[in-house]
Amino acid sequence: MVWRGETIDRRAFLKAAGVAFTAALAPGSLQALERTDAVYASGFRAPDGSFGIATVSERGEIIDRVALPARAHGLAHSAATGRIVAFARRPGTFAMIFDALRQAEPVIITAPEGRHFYGHGHFSPDGSRLYASENDFEGNRGMIGIYDATDRFQRIGEFDAHGLGTHDMTVSDDGSMLVIANGGIETHPDFGRTKLNLDHMEPSLVLLDARSGALIQKHALPPSLSQLSTRHLDIGDNGRIWFACQWEGARNELPPLAGWISKGEDISLLDLPEETTVRLGNYVGAIAVNRREGLVGLTSPVGGAAVTLDAKTGAVLREEIVREAAGVAPAPSGIAVSSYDGHFNATENAVAWDQHIISLK
Amino acid sequence: MRKLFVASLALLMPAAVLAQEPAPAVTLPEAKVKAVMTAAVDGFIKPGYDAFAASAASTTKVVGVLCASPSKANYEAAQDAFRDTAKSWAHIEIVRTGPIIEQNRFERILFYPDRKSTGLKQVQAVLSKSDESATDPKTLGTKSVATQGLGALEYLLFGADAQMLATAEKDSFRCRYAQAVAGNIANVAEEVLGIWDAPDGIRKAWEEPGPNNPAFRTGGEAMTALLGILVHGAEAVRDQRIETFYKGPDKAKFPKQALFWRSQNTWPSVIANIDGLKTLLATSNMGDLLPEKDKPVVATIDAQLTAMATTAGSVTPDLEKAVADEGERQKLDTLLAEGKDVISKLNDGYGGAIGLSSGFSFADGD
Repeated sequence: MVWRGETIDRRAFLKAAGVAFTAALAPGSLQALERTDAVYASGFRAPDGSFGIATVSERGEIIDRVALPARAHGLAHSAATGRIVAFARRPGTFAMIFDALRQAEPVIITAPEGRHFYGHGHFSPDGSRLYASENDFEGNRGMIGIYDATDRFQRIGEFDAHGLGTHDMTVSDDGSMLVIANGGIETHPDFGRTKLNLDHMEPSLVLLDARSGALIQKHALPPSLSQLSTRHLDIGDNGRIWFACQWEGARNELPPLAGWISKGEDISLLDLPEETTVRLGNYVGAIAVNRREGLVGLTSPVGGAAVTLDAKTGAVLREEIVREAAGVAPAPSGIAVSSYDGHFNATENAVAWDQHIISLK
Repeated sequence: MRKLFVASLALLMPAAVLAQEPAPAVTLPEAKVKAVMTAAVDGFIKPGYDAFAASAASTTKVVGVLCASPSKANYEAAQDAFRDTAKSWAHIEIVRTGPIIEQNRFERILFYPDRKSTGLKQVQAVLSKSDESATDPKTLGTKSVATQGLGALEYLLFGADAQMLATAEKDSFRCRYAQAVAGNIANVAEEVLGIWDAPDGIRKAWEEPGPNNPAFRTGGEAMTALLGILVHGAEAVRDQRIETFYKGPDKAKFPKQALFWRSQNTWPSVIANIDGLKTLLATSNMGDLLPEKDKPVVATIDAQLTAMATTAGSVTPDLEKAVADEGERQKLDTLLAEGKDVISKLNDGYGGAIGLSSGFSFADGD
């Protein structure tokens, strides 16, 4: 398959998809596929209350759907293998791995006894390993589960995430390092999604050696920002790791909501303009970097906003009012944004898009 | 608004380009939101903690009478007092936000679920050692949360050898420990009530959403939190009270994991939870925020909750039998299905009607 920059090549997609797949598509979907220059995937909830994952065109039209047994949250895609994984929303215990081209049967894995998925994970660059953020809820510590993608995703090990309330995680481009956002919020499946330690949170950002699990560096936040939950990540140019936060403290404070770290460097918190922080409702639900254009996208369902930053300077380039803004992903031009009320770029769909989009690059 | 200190800063930002004029995610009439939030706090939350604190104080006295004069009648009065306090707690327990979830107050009142029977082991250890420091509510309050709440009190009044309380010597250790547990529960309840009562504290924050409010900047945020009490309360009944011991006919069953199975207070507690949900829904007048065409959703939710309470009340209090008998299991299945319907109706029916869409429950920490 030929890959072109950050977008999947349409002809390659159609060729690989095969006649059977395209013939099975509804006419509208086929039209969408023929028009598209980029393909995304996102979780959704259908009007009948069922859940699934959809592949989506650049314009935001649904191309194909895969049903899920329950609600998903984050997704990961391997450019090397074409596999997509959808993780159950916490405290869910399943992850479904499927092939967007339907060339392989889906695989469902479940978290081992005493663990549940936190909703995010990432493939190694060669696609041979799948890493998943998990909760060791009796031990009250975040873990990174390691699954062998070459052997039906058998669980082959785990690393300590060196924090609690682990949420998003990603892998450096060279595969040598795992990047982990420990949101710092204690939860336990016995108490559903209840946050158990809002008065003594411990957020942190952690870099691990991907081979050994050894701690490379850990950034805790200062005491004044202990209620700033560091939750989502994306990697930009030159190894700069962008993170986005959700504030659990007083609503009338103006905390920093994003920042970056790099290997060997201290944490940098972005000093967004006051009106931008207000617009984001002290809550960033998703973050994505468009490397080619040097952009960072942030979305907030609380504030109903999508914000685009300059990845070099952190300057705010654009703010858009997006009611119930959900996912964000790099687009061929700019940043793609979805919403809980069904909008995905220029298209309104009869689904509720979930919190994250991935670019199938 | 107070800007928080940022340790290391990025560059100062140029003016942003705003693609559209700002508009809040959900726009609700300010006066109506204020009225609903005020009714919720003054008509449900405060009276709920008030009643719970009074019940716990009463139980402390009743157990004190038992300690001073052990007898069958005084023992049964203490058991009845426990039932009353457990129900009183269940009524207000649905509020899983605010001071109750800070400083381990919730767990100090109720340490549950307890899959590893930590509470049982620790309470038995206190009994076997006759640890005198557990007989003073103040020192008990500093011990493990599993030894100082309703779970501990239930074991002391209904667990193995509890009937000795009726015939024991005056001021037995077990009785004094039970009295201290009740006193500790009353102390925590008073503390929570005091925080809600403070004129410039959480009460004001809940009743007057606005830009400088430490809890809610907008009416939409306030209503999201209020609806959240109902949704999470209904979820807790279904997922934490029923599914803890029964998830379906083909799943493993754990009747002794049910809350208050020893005292056969599982269903009274569940019914009191449901009654709390119904009371909050009614006293807050949440329906006033709905467009006329959507107002019937409140009555629908209330009817669904009534059906749940009726079903819960029809299940045998003997939980071993409840999970073993096919007819009883069908009632449990019905209860689980009814719980799912209530959650969906609250989320999509009420939440959707005031413009929260399906996003309401999405933005809660992910």
